[in-house]
Amino acid sequence: MEIPIGLRQIIAFTKRDFYSWTTYRIMVYSQIVNIFVGVFSWGVTAEYVNKPVPEMYSGTSYISFLIVGVAVGNLILPLVQGVQTQLNPWTLETVLMTNISTPVFVIGNVMWAYIFSIISLIPYLIIGTFFFGAKLNINIPSTVLAFIISAAILVGLAMISTGLRIVTKSTDPITWIINILQSIFAGIAFPVAFLDKIFFPGISTISWFLPQTWVYHLCRLAMLTDASLLNPSVIIQFFEGSIFAIVFLPIGYKTFQWGVKRSKREGTLGWY
Amino acid sequence: MENAIETIALVKRYPTNAPPRRNVSDIRGGFGGRGVGPTSFSGIIRVLKGTKGPFIEALRGIDLKIKEGEVFGLLGPNGAGKTTLIKILCTLVIHDEGEAYIYGLDVKKEPSKVLRNLQAVLPESRGFSWRLTGRQNLEFYSLLYGLRDREAKERIDYLLDFTGLKDRAYDGYQRYSTGMQRKLLLCRALLQDSHILLFDEPSAGLDPNSAAEFRSMLRRLSRDEKKTIFLSTHNLYEAQDICDRIAIIDRGIITACDTPDNIRNMTVDEKVFNVMFLDMVFNDDMTKMVNQLSEIIGVRGAMPEVDSDGVFHGLTIHADKDLDISTILDIIIKRGLKIRIINSKEPTLEDAFMIITNRQQWHPSENTNQTR
Repeated sequence: MEIPIGLRQIIAFTKRDFYSWTTYRIMVYSQIVNIFVGVFSWGVTAEYVNKPVPEMYSGTSYISFLIVGVAVGNLILPLVQGVQTQLNPWTLETVLMTNISTPVFVIGNVMWAYIFSIISLIPYLIIGTFFFGAKLNINIPSTVLAFIISAAILVGLAMISTGLRIVTKSTDPITWIINILQSIFAGIAFPVAFLDKIFFPGISTISWFLPQTWVYHLCRLAMLTDASLLNPSVIIQFFEGSIFAIVFLPIGYKTFQWGVKRSKREGTLGWY
Repeated sequence: MENAIETIALVKRYPTNAPPRRNVSDIRGGFGGRGVGPTSFSGIIRVLKGTKGPFIEALRGIDLKIKEGEVFGLLGPNGAGKTTLIKILCTLVIHDEGEAYIYGLDVKKEPSKVLRNLQAVLPESRGFSWRLTGRQNLEFYSLLYGLRDREAKERIDYLLDFTGLKDRAYDGYQRYSTGMQRKLLLCRALLQDSHILLFDEPSAGLDPNSAAEFRSMLRRLSRDEKKTIFLSTHNLYEAQDICDRIAIIDRGIITACDTPDNIRNMTVDEKVFNVMFLDMVFNDDMTKMVNQLSEIIGVRGAMPEVDSDGVFHGLTIHADKDLDISTILDIIIKRGLKIRIINSKEPTLEDAFMIITNRQQWHPSENTNQTR
């Protein structure tokens, strides 16, 4: 069977970035060391404050909650930053002249970073489980679906970020704001419901308007609570999360197209 | 025959921070007019679209028609609009007014179809991964261009051979010299075998040997593969050497467009040449001959040449540029004089370029091309 051209092009980007990555040997070793240091660093922190997490994911220990959160957090960063790191005038002008589609350009540029993040997720889960005693209740179909929805949300965000960055040539304000809010409201290191206790009731509502919150929540739901897709309440939560993907993907696509078009009109596509 | 490239009244304006002046478009009610306040709704829309002025005009109504298979050169000083025109044609810049077509396809409305027929070699747009080999880089782009594996392999082998990079194909790109990098750019542009190739300053930064080799490749592409080649250059020798036609662009306007020879000749309305004799000529003979020559219609003047010993040994003749000089030579030969050499004082392409771009006036005494 013939592989569709779009998929072959994404594979081409992935191969290019993988080959390029392997040529920086010291960076490869340091990244591998960073993964293990990261696991132990977060693991020891979680061990120190270890207590059950009664909110949202009942029956889960804090170490399980944190390990999954940090692992998923490592998935998010490269997806949002992946295209930005590839954006330079030489690459952008040349690649756009090949006539590839916007989704292929964006997905292609983040794919290796995403694959590397998934690979680095494995030691997080293994060391977290066997060394720190994290207990995972993984529902495989839900986990797969959570990853797909997360990837769709994040690709949408990546396209928005890239489109704005093509115009601003530096940090884009929207992604910056989302990332700032994420550090407080997305619930990387604590359940978002805990915000209501710390600040005032209802403040956690803000969290649910952030796409990253849904990425963390759906992944934790699937990996910590054995959330079955046959359960109506689980389906509703996945549906709510997928609304972000449905909204962000076309907005991201349009933003990217707008950024490229405006930059072409201003003659600044080759600028950086 | 259909034009490979055609532009009609093409206009491109770039935003500028400079205060409005003669060359800055500030059209009321048009692009970024004064009537639109920055905080008005339409002002905000124009800011978002990037259509808010003031603007500087990079291209001011370019009309060009380039035939299939032609090698066309675009000459112009820095900032004349050469790169802008090339980037518009390869869909990297969107023009503001006018039309541009590639085989009848509108570059603004059908960029995807345009890019199937055209590729560009832009020296500043490398787009290669420094850590990969030349071959790996081409393999990557072959997939982006949609080539199948076998087709890509054959094409890459052919192109590496064509450009002489075969022996260095497995070296990292960062080990390539500037000349090799330029060749790899050419390989990439030829991957999808487009009919039209655009080159922006193809030999800029290359040493004379590499530049000559690159020109030779362009000639082969034109002669053997029937490519339409559109190149911008500062190099007047390059333009005269390989172009069928050239256009001179200055401050966004095409000021001349013709064959290199016609461009050279269009800047002067007379030809000037020296006829040097093998033997010395006596005063009376010379006077009679000058008078006789002056009577020929089209001869504007004939001046005897005298050497340091005061001996007449030649003539400088000013004549209409279309005059058949055999009439003049007939008179000289019939008087029993033998011609040692004829020096033709014609403008070079560089002279023409300087005159057309208002940089300098041409003086015949400054240049001499010899014809024996």
